[in-house]
Amino acid sequence: MSNKDIMLMAHLMRRVGFGSTKDELEEYIKNGYDNQVDIILDSEPNYEISKHLINRYQPDYGSPMGNSSNGASWLYKMIWSDSPFKEKISLFWHGIFATGYAKLANGIVLHDQIKMFSKFGLGNYKNLLIELSKDPAMIIWLDNCESHKGAVNENYGRELLELFSMGTGNYTEKDIKEASRAFTGWTIANKDYMTTKSQRDSVWPYGRLAMHFEYKEDDHDEDEKIFLGETGNFNGEEIIDIICKQKATAKFISRHMYSFFVEDEPPVPEWPYKEPNNPNAIELLSEVYFDTGYNIKEMLRFLFKSKFFKSEKVWNKRVKSPIELVAGTLRITKEFERPDKQQSSANSHTSFMGQHAMNPPSVEGWHWGTEWLDSGTVVERVNFSSSKLGDVNNSGIRKIINNVKSNISNQYSTELLIEKILEELGSIIVSKTTKDTLKDFVNSKINSEKSLNDDNLSELLQLIGAMPEYQRA
Amino acid sequence: MTTSFDIKNKKTMGLAAMQGRGFYYPFDLAFDSNDKIYVLGRGHDYDPRGARITVMDMEEEYYGTFGSFGDKEGQFMWPSSIAISNKDKIYVSDEYLNKITIMTTEGDFISSFGQLGNAEGEFDGPNGLVFDDNNQLYIVDHRNGRIQVFDEDGNYIRKFSSEGESEGKLNLPWGITHISDDTLYISDWGNHRIQEFSTNGDFIRTIGSKGNNESNLLHPSSSAVDDLGYVYVSDWGNHKLKVFDKHGTFLCSNRGEGTLSKWAQDFLDTNVQEKEARSKANLVFELESFKNDPFTESSHVEKLFWCPTSISFHKDKLLIVDSSRHRIQVFNKVEKL
Repeated sequence: MSNKDIMLMAHLMRRVGFGSTKDELEEYIKNGYDNQVDIILDSEPNYEISKHLINRYQPDYGSPMGNSSNGASWLYKMIWSDSPFKEKISLFWHGIFATGYAKLANGIVLHDQIKMFSKFGLGNYKNLLIELSKDPAMIIWLDNCESHKGAVNENYGRELLELFSMGTGNYTEKDIKEASRAFTGWTIANKDYMTTKSQRDSVWPYGRLAMHFEYKEDDHDEDEKIFLGETGNFNGEEIIDIICKQKATAKFISRHMYSFFVEDEPPVPEWPYKEPNNPNAIELLSEVYFDTGYNIKEMLRFLFKSKFFKSEKVWNKRVKSPIELVAGTLRITKEFERPDKQQSSANSHTSFMGQHAMNPPSVEGWHWGTEWLDSGTVVERVNFSSSKLGDVNNSGIRKIINNVKSNISNQYSTELLIEKILEELGSIIVSKTTKDTLKDFVNSKINSEKSLNDDNLSELLQLIGAMPEYQRA
Repeated sequence: MTTSFDIKNKKTMGLAAMQGRGFYYPFDLAFDSNDKIYVLGRGHDYDPRGARITVMDMEEEYYGTFGSFGDKEGQFMWPSSIAISNKDKIYVSDEYLNKITIMTTEGDFISSFGQLGNAEGEFDGPNGLVFDDNNQLYIVDHRNGRIQVFDEDGNYIRKFSSEGESEGKLNLPWGITHISDDTLYISDWGNHRIQEFSTNGDFIRTIGSKGNNESNLLHPSSSAVDDLGYVYVSDWGNHKLKVFDKHGTFLCSNRGEGTLSKWAQDFLDTNVQEKEARSKANLVFELESFKNDPFTESSHVEKLFWCPTSISFHKDKLLIVDSSRHRIQVFNKVEKL
């Protein structure tokens, strides 16, 4: 196995999950790259800490009253899954179909929405949009329960076209109105009681209640509609069918995939005015979209095996989102080997860094890429990753230190120490400037194997946690 | 000839409340000699106000709350179980702080004992608590997979059982029950069974086995025994009440029949908008997604048990702490049909 093979596998694992340690990478390499992609896409994850154990210790993680425990509960899955791709996919869709607690005041419906992303997020895009349209959190978030025959609310119809499928510039205001008419009658059961509880943030009498979709035929506008040039007595499913046939939809979802898994694109509002970073990649992904009948998993299989994904030009080009940074760091440190109160605190750090799961700033979600970084969030990110990587009491860090010590036994050099510790952390690629900084530190603190003590290695790990390269995937 | 059994709901008590009158993820309860009920609230990590003891009686008369979140003496972090001695002293286990706190029934701190470890007298996650007739305290030391016995002042006496899967061993046990013939029933949560021991620590027998069928158990949290020797189990993972006869044969089950408690009715009477909307709602229904997924079903259907954590008899009434619904469901004993 070549160093480049390891680097490529490390790149894959940072994108399909939250990064892998050296030991894990060595196991994956044995499968071969393409085979490993298939394993990731086709496997169901196992979780080292069962949901039963989490719910026993932290009952609000399973039956959430508020929202923060949702994020903390999700973080457990990201940390303790043997194949965190499912969580990454849910995170991908949560970023696009961003739905927030502020309006719902019900942790359970958001918990259920993430479960829905996990269940349908790798299937047919049409099915996913249908499930999204029936999702109680989305129905309340975008007011479709307030859209009635003869009194249409256009919020969902508008965002379905603008943010969830085609993007602005590819449809008319008339199309929005017609789509909205088609989704009249798509509501939630016990709508008055559920929305009253949400509006009043009521946990009474016995906690939150999960919600479910209900179709009210007598509230559905059955008259003829003209949508994107097609005419008929369309219901919601037909509208989604027409949407999924559009080239604009293929490009829109392909660009989202490229941005999330390959390299950061500008924020979505700029897309009508800015060409994609790699128009050819978007074209290729769009072809797979149509060739496979809108199959998300097959689009991703193509993407991960493509030259544009494997290209060194895109390695470490994405800024980790706060959730990716926190989950990836905790996978390295392995500090919560059993459910722990501190998990809630770790989850809070994602909010301090600007990403409060299931509480996006708006229906547009978060702006990714370098927009995660400002003077406040950078300090928070660096403090978090440095303090976690530098804590030698964590079993994951303990193992890294022991491995580094044994791997450089009797052949100490500054270069070898830096190489081994970056390998252990998941083959992190660093610039010459960063490497020189690390060398300066090592030469000033650790000038022989005798100085490889916990304190010095902790400081070195803290420094790596503060490197710009650690903030990227 | 087959004999059928059934168990009937009597009433529901309590209300979800972050503070004051009500509970927030209640985990356990105990009665004092004056028939006052002390309901132990677990709370949760993002709202520590729930970690408290709510005092009430069977008529839902409210007497106040005491205890608070924290790691100082008399405070709780992850309170798990409560027991009351024959001298009316309250004992609370805390599986985060790894100690037992002793308080008066007025909430005044008396003392505490225990620390993290696996030596005699140390704990790794103390859970279920019960006193025997000699006022000896049995403590489920769950991550150490053993039961430790103390006197009422917290002095270590003895221990029994160890971590494992075979008969007589324990895997993350939770609740413990004592009956007057000096028998203990331990909820062997991780092994999906109830195990019966003598108070000397001798293994007697096992009730239940893993599964989601009627006669199976999935992570049972607690058990209670009536005067006929029938064993009532809060089947936490199946979200059911299960009843077995004294030979361990399954008799009947109940999925939960929560109704409006007095406190819940008070809430609705003063919040008429919610009361009116609720009166028009259909709160009992079936969905395809409920199949083989009682957790999801309980999240939707309010009357059902959702993670019942504790079950106990008081006189002839069976009280089940319905934790994720923040209430107590009260049942009559099982009866032949």
